[in-house]
Amino acid sequence: MLLFTLRRFNLFLFTMVLLTILSFSLSFLFPGEQITNISGKINASPESIELIALHYGKHESILSQYWIYLNHLFKGDWGLSMTSQLPILDEIYNHLPATIELTISALFIAMIVGIPIGFIAAINHRKKSDDLILSFAMIGYSIPIFWLGLLAILIFSIQLGWLPSAGQISLLYEIKQITGIQFIDILLSDSPYKWQAFQDASSHILLPSCVVALAPATIFIRLARTSMLNVLETHYIKAAMAKGLTFRQIIYRHAIRNAMVNVIRDVGLQFANLVTLAMVTEVIFSWPGIGRWLIESIYQRDYTAIQGGLLALSCFIFLVHIFTDFVYATLNPLAREKNRGSR
Amino acid sequence: MARDNIYQEEEFPSPLVQLWFYFRQSPVVKVGFGCFIFLCLLAIFSPFISPYSPIENHLDSILLPPAWDDNGDVSYLLGTDNLGRDMLSRLIQGTSLTFGLSFIVVIISLVIGVVIGSLAALTKGMKSSFLNHFLDVILSIPSLLMAIVIVAILGPGLSNTLWAIVIVLIPQFIHITRNAVEEEFNKDYVLASRLDGANSLRILYYSIFPNIVEKLISQATLAQSAAILDIATLGFLGLGAPIPMPEWGAMLANGIDLFYIAPWTVYLPGLAILFSVVATNLVGEGMRHALKARKEN
Amino acid sequence: MAFYSSLKKAHCSFFIVMCVGLFACNSENKASLSANSIVYCSEGAPEIFNPQLITSGVTVDATSKQLYNQLITFNADNSISPSLAKSWHVTRDNKKITFYIRKNVNFHQTNFFTPTRALNADDVLFSFNRILDKKHLFHQVSGGKYPFFQSVGFSELIQSIERINDYTVRFTLNRADSSFLANLATDFSVILSKEYAEQLVKQNQMEHIDIHPIGTGPFKLKEYRTGSFIRYNPHEQYWDEKTTLKQLVYDITPSNTGRLTKLLTGECDISSYPIAHEKIKKNPKLALDNVTAFNIGYLGFNTTKYPFDNKLVRKAVSHAINRQAILDTVYFGKAEAATTILPPSSWAYNKDIPSINYSIKMAKNILEEAGFTDGLTIDLWAMPVQRSYNPDAVTMAKLIQADLKLIGITVNIVSYNWHEFLRRVTLGEHQSVLLGWTADHPDPDNFFTPLLSCGAAETGNNGNFWCNNQFDFLIQSALATTEINKRKALYMQALHILAEELPLLPIAHSKRFQARSIKIKGQLLNSFGSIDFKGVSKN
Repeated sequence: MLLFTLRRFNLFLFTMVLLTILSFSLSFLFPGEQITNISGKINASPESIELIALHYGKHESILSQYWIYLNHLFKGDWGLSMTSQLPILDEIYNHLPATIELTISALFIAMIVGIPIGFIAAINHRKKSDDLILSFAMIGYSIPIFWLGLLAILIFSIQLGWLPSAGQISLLYEIKQITGIQFIDILLSDSPYKWQAFQDASSHILLPSCVVALAPATIFIRLARTSMLNVLETHYIKAAMAKGLTFRQIIYRHAIRNAMVNVIRDVGLQFANLVTLAMVTEVIFSWPGIGRWLIESIYQRDYTAIQGGLLALSCFIFLVHIFTDFVYATLNPLAREKNRGSR
Repeated sequence: MARDNIYQEEEFPSPLVQLWFYFRQSPVVKVGFGCFIFLCLLAIFSPFISPYSPIENHLDSILLPPAWDDNGDVSYLLGTDNLGRDMLSRLIQGTSLTFGLSFIVVIISLVIGVVIGSLAALTKGMKSSFLNHFLDVILSIPSLLMAIVIVAILGPGLSNTLWAIVIVLIPQFIHITRNAVEEEFNKDYVLASRLDGANSLRILYYSIFPNIVEKLISQATLAQSAAILDIATLGFLGLGAPIPMPEWGAMLANGIDLFYIAPWTVYLPGLAILFSVVATNLVGEGMRHALKARKEN
Repeated sequence: MAFYSSLKKAHCSFFIVMCVGLFACNSENKASLSANSIVYCSEGAPEIFNPQLITSGVTVDATSKQLYNQLITFNADNSISPSLAKSWHVTRDNKKITFYIRKNVNFHQTNFFTPTRALNADDVLFSFNRILDKKHLFHQVSGGKYPFFQSVGFSELIQSIERINDYTVRFTLNRADSSFLANLATDFSVILSKEYAEQLVKQNQMEHIDIHPIGTGPFKLKEYRTGSFIRYNPHEQYWDEKTTLKQLVYDITPSNTGRLTKLLTGECDISSYPIAHEKIKKNPKLALDNVTAFNIGYLGFNTTKYPFDNKLVRKAVSHAINRQAILDTVYFGKAEAATTILPPSSWAYNKDIPSINYSIKMAKNILEEAGFTDGLTIDLWAMPVQRSYNPDAVTMAKLIQADLKLIGITVNIVSYNWHEFLRRVTLGEHQSVLLGWTADHPDPDNFFTPLLSCGAAETGNNGNFWCNNQFDFLIQSALATTEINKRKALYMQALHILAEELPLLPIAHSKRFQARSIKIKGQLLNSFGSIDFKGVSKN
């Protein structure tokens, strides 16, 4: 396990280096002055530009410039947003938690719904219900997310009036931002309407997270189905059958656990995809997350924001990636063994 | 069955022909393939079959509902938008933008990806490990975010978003080519031709490509459905096709303000995107099935 | 096995609890909180919380009447009435105006400022000196630009402001100005707290004066989350009739459909600039209000930049645009065609003013005469927000794009977010722009000086950068007299110059619309200037 951890840590370092190089080079690639792009100070006078340039080591070699940039990142100085002139790190702190909330709950829904359905499809392999599930999965996978979001609002918010259409919580609830994760903030707050606020926040997150969850859920259906089919063909299942266990027993005691492990392995890979969907969904549902903020930033040519957002969001995805790797490794000793050998 | 051929020679169809044989077994896939061909034809001949110009305003007939509605007009079969532009013509011309361009995008990234991927397969050690990690990192960045970053560098516009999507799609082709080539290289027939004195490039071209091409095509269909969705999404966000162009995503975005008074301006482009993605996915699905069936036999 | 199944059970039960919780007891509990609170879906985010510094309607709507008061204000019948000044006196030569300030007017008390004294003459002096005195400690804070006051030539007009005693202030003017009182009653002439400013100087946070505002208005700012929402609480010690609301929230929703959706789902009580009027009228729970606004939507040409520095090109483009089609498509027939910048309801309006006619042929000829025989490409900036004078600038731009194609001009449509848009227009980055102007007071001068004077060209406030000395002289002479007929004649001449020079093409005068839930009572819209939540209630 130690070796496994070390390997992951190594990979994490490598990724961070690559990502920071990418975001550093973006400041050169984006239109306009590199110094403005990296610091975000748009209305600086020539003298103060010179000062900022010194600050960022503009006159030194590119390598030491990169090193200085890294130092800035670690110190928490990510530059200013070109439009709001607020520190990027503050903006990320304001927006990222909402995205984390949305993506994690969507991932949760997608797994809860997708994996059991996938297992059902596998158990009923080559029957009507299998076909039905597969065709549903195909459509779910093909629907453009922005269209789905609009239809969901039309049906559930306007026609049925069940769920609200926009935002994280009704603005009437005054919740102080402490951690940024709305649900935790509500529980920490001393509002007399705590419980209502909690309900309200839950009803707000339901629709967008279901919309985000649809496509990943269909992928989980397929993954779970394939994985279950593979498991059902293994020798130990046959052995269990020979022992005379009922089909139900075999599925519950042996097959689900083993099939599950294989699905978990792919969760991390699916996450990047899920974040893409979440970004668009945030726009449709006016969810105050980092995706909407990034898309706004591009309209406003806010290059500092794009760099910072890219860095923060990719880090987040990568951390989730590594986290699921760990979960997988804990659940499946074989994975740890395998990683010791050559890959 | 009587055979004219007196020699009892066995026929070995090429992998692609075999694939086609298995492919057409399923009726659903056949329908999907039919739709796919239909879309291709539409994309090529769109300027000749659309009844009106897609950017021509008919200001005397704005926001007409589709013809089956009581207020509809048969001369505008699918209705008009807020500038009186014919929805049918815009949808047809949009096929060549959203669907047609996704096709081109996939081919470009396929070619680039295969070249890099096979080169990568021929190198070993440090470089290859670096590439592996590099690809992992790139793949961990959400495709839309990557596209947004590239659009931010190049500036908004249709051609720039296309390049962005090309770049986003390349890593998966590199990945699959590299894995497939490495897998094939370990097989005996490659060893045979290596013993014949063929160099790596020759082996790659004559022995390996014919055997991995179907894998690539199946990956390409997946990539195409992603490309359609990406083009439409960027269009929807206003980063892709410029304003008057009838790209489906941009059309949908234009229709949003009319959602409550003219819902067809939102339903129709969405359906068009859904239809083309489903058709593409059906083809891809059929392809993968056929691939599996062929391997099993 | 135990692990997975129990985990799953936990998931399921959690899910069920959540759903039950959601649908069972949501509505009644929420009712208690929303009973005296209003959520207003606004179309944009304010740039700053001080209307002295801007002219954009979004900011004015969010600040002027909510957070602040003016010395004097407009009545419902457009006459000037007392506000912070309980009365005033004008000398016969119209050059000295004395204001008698109301006593016991309290400033907001917030967690960052506790006032120790009531409003007095010092605060009035501070508020105006900040604008007038370039050496004032606060003049340069937040950029040092006061576009409205610069465009009406405030600093040239005012000779001095004196403090007579604690509750009396006298303005001395260099010349008589018939629109002076009206200008003081606009949304821009707000009164700030000097005591707060002094506190900020001590804390070395001077810029907070415009970000964490303190005023005397019926509401105080509780929280602003950039680009997302503004939360106001009532001002408990308000000097006039207090609001019955417990909370007022501006939900910033730039998307037109988003605002309508929130209105339909009841997530907001009032929506600014609604679309789909028919849909709202059909809904029994909603009401659509409108008010005749004094405004003008126009196509402005950047007269300092190629190709619109050429009068002929401006003329050709003006002839080529089918404005009737714009009225039908963009305004859905709910606006009046504009012949000139003055709306017909203004007393200075005259129907004899020449208007430019729609003629492709003439447009082509003029363009040829100007030497543009083989086409031309221009940028057209379309504003991203809805305003009453232009409910959908992008669609309008598309129509103009199609019109101009007929005379061989290719149009690129450019749009930024509102903030950035105005900033860049002020810098003159555009070639032509779809903009508009809503009058702040009934005096016709409000259409001329802030929009087309040389002072306005300097600030870039209007996007034309047009400065015509003859025109300037005419509108200044019109201000110097109070005789209506003389002023009428002068404005008539000015309008003729305008029709000849065409720094902008007037398009439409439109009403301002607003949609609300029928639970909302009270007058929110005004003919002039910003919305006012003072008398609005919910039941």
